[in-house]
Amino acid sequence: MLDLQGYGPSIIDGARLTISVALISLLIAMALGLITALAKLSGRRPAIIAATVYTTIIRGVPDLVLMLLIFFGGQVLVNDLATMVGYEDYIDINPFIAGSVTIGFIFGAYMGETFRGAILAVPVGLLEAGAAYGMTRRQVLLRILIPQMMRHALPGFGNNWLVLMKTTALVSVIGLEDMVRKAGLAAGATREPFPFYFTVALIFLALTTLSILALRWAEKHYSAGVRQA
Amino acid sequence: MHETASGRAAEHHALVCEDIHKSFGTLEVLKGVSLSARKGDVIAMLGSSGSGKSTFLRCINLLETPNSGQVFVGGELIRMSNDKRGEPQAADRKQVERLRTRLAMVFQSFNLWSHMTVLQNVIEAPVHVLKRPRRDAIEQAEALLEKVGIHARKDDYPAHLSGGQQQRVAIARALAMNPDVMLFDEPTSALDPELVNEVLKVIKDLAEEGRTMIVVTHEMGFAREVSSETVFLHEGRVEEAGPPREVFEHPKSERFRQFLAGTLK
Repeated sequence: MLDLQGYGPSIIDGARLTISVALISLLIAMALGLITALAKLSGRRPAIIAATVYTTIIRGVPDLVLMLLIFFGGQVLVNDLATMVGYEDYIDINPFIAGSVTIGFIFGAYMGETFRGAILAVPVGLLEAGAAYGMTRRQVLLRILIPQMMRHALPGFGNNWLVLMKTTALVSVIGLEDMVRKAGLAAGATREPFPFYFTVALIFLALTTLSILALRWAEKHYSAGVRQA
Repeated sequence: MHETASGRAAEHHALVCEDIHKSFGTLEVLKGVSLSARKGDVIAMLGSSGSGKSTFLRCINLLETPNSGQVFVGGELIRMSNDKRGEPQAADRKQVERLRTRLAMVFQSFNLWSHMTVLQNVIEAPVHVLKRPRRDAIEQAEALLEKVGIHARKDDYPAHLSGGQQQRVAIARALAMNPDVMLFDEPTSALDPELVNEVLKVIKDLAEEGRTMIVVTHEMGFAREVSSETVFLHEGRVEEAGPPREVFEHPKSERFRQFLAGTLK
């Protein structure tokens, strides 16, 4: 039915790259998201302002524009800076890193909002109990706040992850050979776009379906100790 | 000078609080409250809501930062300093963390960690804060859960327990620290009336064992029967203090008389 005319392995390679970009972006997004959420809840003005500027810009500018801006604009910026400090050679930004960082940067803002809501849902008394028993701030964060907030964060987190995974398709515009670009090349060469793009759609669907199953498991795991209504 | 004098007196006490002031915005909740507890003292703190008694308790372990005043734990002064805006703060976070392990608190709403089982709640701080070997901590926790009568539920999550059971777990969690002073913040106020006694019984047993405790409570009978000293707070000041027999039978302050009349009705 789907005749990939020998382009199958190439698309699989692309799928691998898509998954790598997605996972690295996710790690960056989670770290940035947690920092953003804690900054917004810190009660310190400079932190709140920085976090608010970040989320406002990211959420207000299209992902594609940000991707182009960071990759091409970043390229110029990095080289100007290099020249300024006396470095003469031209620096090429690695598109894999640029792509992952950009997507991580974008979704850090969304994760930040998700995490902020989840943190607010944790009863303050549980954190106070940690402090009252001599825990350090770090212990309260890692041993109480994060496990407690996971349950509240997971639905929003899952949603962000699914959108993030689909957003990886954007990295093809900065020359990364992800599966969307591989499919495009195959479609161009064979003049049969349907089988290739359809395959890509199926792969995305498979990845998101697997994710949904994993998230369902995680939600159950982090709801241990919650009485089912 | 004042500091060294009170510091010397504080050496003989498990806990000394000197002239604690605390305001929230423009509202002055504590207007200079002092209290000292020798080893084995059970101090019951009474007062109507808004009298500042819970705030005072939370100032002892710095869950609230007092605006001024001194707290000595086992003779050691908790050092304070001012932040950039001139607000008071603990000078040495490590010191506060260390002294907090000596002051175990039991909360009105239990505050058990709901993602951990009963047993995990009890061993959490001994293992991760006091760095005791897990096996020892488990052994001790099982004995404590036995003592508060809840060993059979050790693998359950707190949400599956009644309020009285949760509070008994919280008391076991506090005991697992081997604290010098136990701070009880209205430990029975969130309980259904029929569950109050099972918790009071446990606290009473601890008093009889000679535990040093500060108990903020509404339970008159408990204060009268169990405490070695009863303190009545009103509008952020100590209105009446003394051995329960004296203060209940011959209250000096008019407000405490009114308070007793209102609650003993």
